[in-house]
Amino acid sequence: MLRRILILAALTPCAFAAPVVEEAVPGLPAVKVQDLHYGDVLFYFYQHDHFDALVRLAAYRDQGRLAAHARDSELLRGGLYLSLGQHREAQEIFERILADASTPPEVRDRAWFYLGKVLYAAGVFEESERALRSSSGTLSPELDAERHLLLAQGLMYRQQYDRAIAELEGWQGPRLWLAYGQFNLGVALVRVGQRERGLALLDSVGQIVTEWPELAALRDKANLAIGYAHLQASEPAAARAALDRVRLSGPQASKALLGAGWADAAAKQYEAALLPWEELQGRNLLDSAVQESYLAVPYAYAELGAMAQAVNYYEKAIAAYDAERSRIGESIGAIRSGRLLDAALKAERDGREGWFGQLADVPDSPESRYLYHLLAGHEFQEGLKNYRALEAMSKNLSGWSDSLGAFTDMVETRQTAFEMRLPAADARLATVDVATINGRRDELHARLETAIAERDVEALATEEERGQLDMLAEVEAELALYPGDAAYDDAREKARLARGALLWKLDAAWKVRSWRANRALRDLNASVYDARTRETASSRAREGAPERNAALGARVTQVSPRVATLAVRVDSAKSAQGRHLADIAIEELEAQRQRLDEYSVQARYALATIYDRATANPAPATPQRTP
Amino acid sequence: MRTVLISFLAAIAASMPAFADDAPEPAAERSALDAEVQSLRRDVVDLNRDLFMLEEDLLFPASTQIAVFVSMDIGTFFALDSVQVKVDDKEVANYLYTERELEALKRGGVHRIWLGNLKAGEHEVVAYFTGQGTHERDYKRGTTLTVEKGVGAKYLELKISDRVRKLQPEFVVRVWE
Repeated sequence: MLRRILILAALTPCAFAAPVVEEAVPGLPAVKVQDLHYGDVLFYFYQHDHFDALVRLAAYRDQGRLAAHARDSELLRGGLYLSLGQHREAQEIFERILADASTPPEVRDRAWFYLGKVLYAAGVFEESERALRSSSGTLSPELDAERHLLLAQGLMYRQQYDRAIAELEGWQGPRLWLAYGQFNLGVALVRVGQRERGLALLDSVGQIVTEWPELAALRDKANLAIGYAHLQASEPAAARAALDRVRLSGPQASKALLGAGWADAAAKQYEAALLPWEELQGRNLLDSAVQESYLAVPYAYAELGAMAQAVNYYEKAIAAYDAERSRIGESIGAIRSGRLLDAALKAERDGREGWFGQLADVPDSPESRYLYHLLAGHEFQEGLKNYRALEAMSKNLSGWSDSLGAFTDMVETRQTAFEMRLPAADARLATVDVATINGRRDELHARLETAIAERDVEALATEEERGQLDMLAEVEAELALYPGDAAYDDAREKARLARGALLWKLDAAWKVRSWRANRALRDLNASVYDARTRETASSRAREGAPERNAALGARVTQVSPRVATLAVRVDSAKSAQGRHLADIAIEELEAQRQRLDEYSVQARYALATIYDRATANPAPATPQRTP
Repeated sequence: MRTVLISFLAAIAASMPAFADDAPEPAAERSALDAEVQSLRRDVVDLNRDLFMLEEDLLFPASTQIAVFVSMDIGTFFALDSVQVKVDDKEVANYLYTERELEALKRGGVHRIWLGNLKAGEHEVVAYFTGQGTHERDYKRGTTLTVEKGVGAKYLELKISDRVRKLQPEFVVRVWE
């Protein structure tokens, strides 16, 4: 029965690794950006800055700047809410996309997929399965792979292993996803009694050659599961082979070392068993495998007949348990004083491997000593995630609170500056009479049209030619006073010739001049239009400025209480979350203390038994072994 | 020994995630605190959206607003380090990109490198791209554009793309209305 508990615990279906889960919208199809602002959102999204991406997306959407990506941006918005853990908002968005009959099939498929994912995260597996099964055909290979695994995991959580096997068997996908699929298929097969097939699949995962941390972690988990399964079946050699493949520096290392010792012990190789067990003794005593090793080592010595060492190690175990209990007491005190959270916030948690590696360097202070152990707990991790989010919200609101003060000053300064500049601006505007200019332009236009219609060459004469024409007119008027006088005939002939020459010149230049006049009029039209536009804009700005400033001032005034109210709520939630985390930590450490108590009792009992036997059957000499 | 083995098995079983532990928490069982954090996060997103728009309306009104964006298409022939933007001979932006930002650009992200105000009329915009060209040679290229700023907001895109035929990068400025 106990071995069954062990194998069940080891053969847990493997959820997707944390980094992949956090990437709520993986495999977002490559987008040819048609709105620069959509590209700006993607710039933050691709850097995993989901909060900024969501804020910009929401703002640009309200400003109407995402028209060319309306559907994509809605999908992304839902995905961003999903990644922030806002399942309700995400679900509403995906359902709205699906309710729209005009949504194209590929967008519909993605919406079904994300909706399935939201429902899965909410633990509503049947509805999640329905949604995931509605999505197919146009998904990218990555999304389709994730869809398959979500379906299979949902079935396994409902203990429908046969259906999960049917879902995963023969399935092919990208490498990482395929490895998870094989792991889960192996687990499902073992669960339905197909042990050999299941272990063979787990073995293929356990022998993956990779430098990818996520796959290496999965490989360790597979090897651990195989090792325990073989231990359960009293196959110590096979168990040892699998457990030896677990990395010594990974999160599964101590369990593997402990199991390796038990495999050797099962083969009566007690000296060999001492090697992994003694290696465990240098590790954190909150690890159950390490605690166990303190009892296992003297047990091995006792089996080897080295009673003196057994006694030594039992005494060492009792001292270690007592010391650890005392250290736990100190840590509980530090946690109660609120120091745990500061230490926890310093630890980066970009996935299990990330924080596992970094926590190796955490200082051995009461507040941080048990961080690794606490962070391994799902509830504490989730609580810390909330606390970190609240901390970020608090900083965000504090930043805006400062900015709002500056905004208020800015609006007031702008209004004051406007009022100061107004008289001068009004005076300048008063000197501009665009209406008169417009009238003169119209008159000029009419004159040119008439001249062109009547081919009035004199109308396009230059100033000099105009002078010559006027002079000729005066001469002709003077000559007209002497109509019959032959003495002026010569002068009359010269005037006629001069007029003829001038008109010929004007006529020759007519084509070029009329074209130039038309062009000049067009330029004038443009300038008058500009002047009118600027006058209108100036007038509008002049009239609208106080109104705009007032509107901006009102927006600042309205938003300020929202910032203040939210800041109070965030602070209150942060305190509550902090207390909640401390409670989880203390409860966990108390449980550990109790377990150490029990181990301590067992060690004392074993020690008393050895002493009793020694008293009852005094032996001449106990073989000594070098530890 | 029996006691040790029992406690070993029990401890291992307790230390490994139980089947139900990995399952997502049913919605109904989420604590009131979780619900409050969710509600706060939604309200903070909404507030940030409103403040983002207010800040833009206040500091960069549409009548004078101009924004310069940087985008990248593939980028095989040019590894971007930084972009400097000058408007009317005055430096308005000088941005050094991180690996993470470059990755985001390559995947289709567009970086708004500068948001500012310009009076209506003609302005000269100059952008300098610094980085490494083919064969890891240092590379600096400039591109100039004369912009006619009207009464509405103006957007410029500085696009880095590959000119495959010449095996060289290409720097294009595109004006969006």
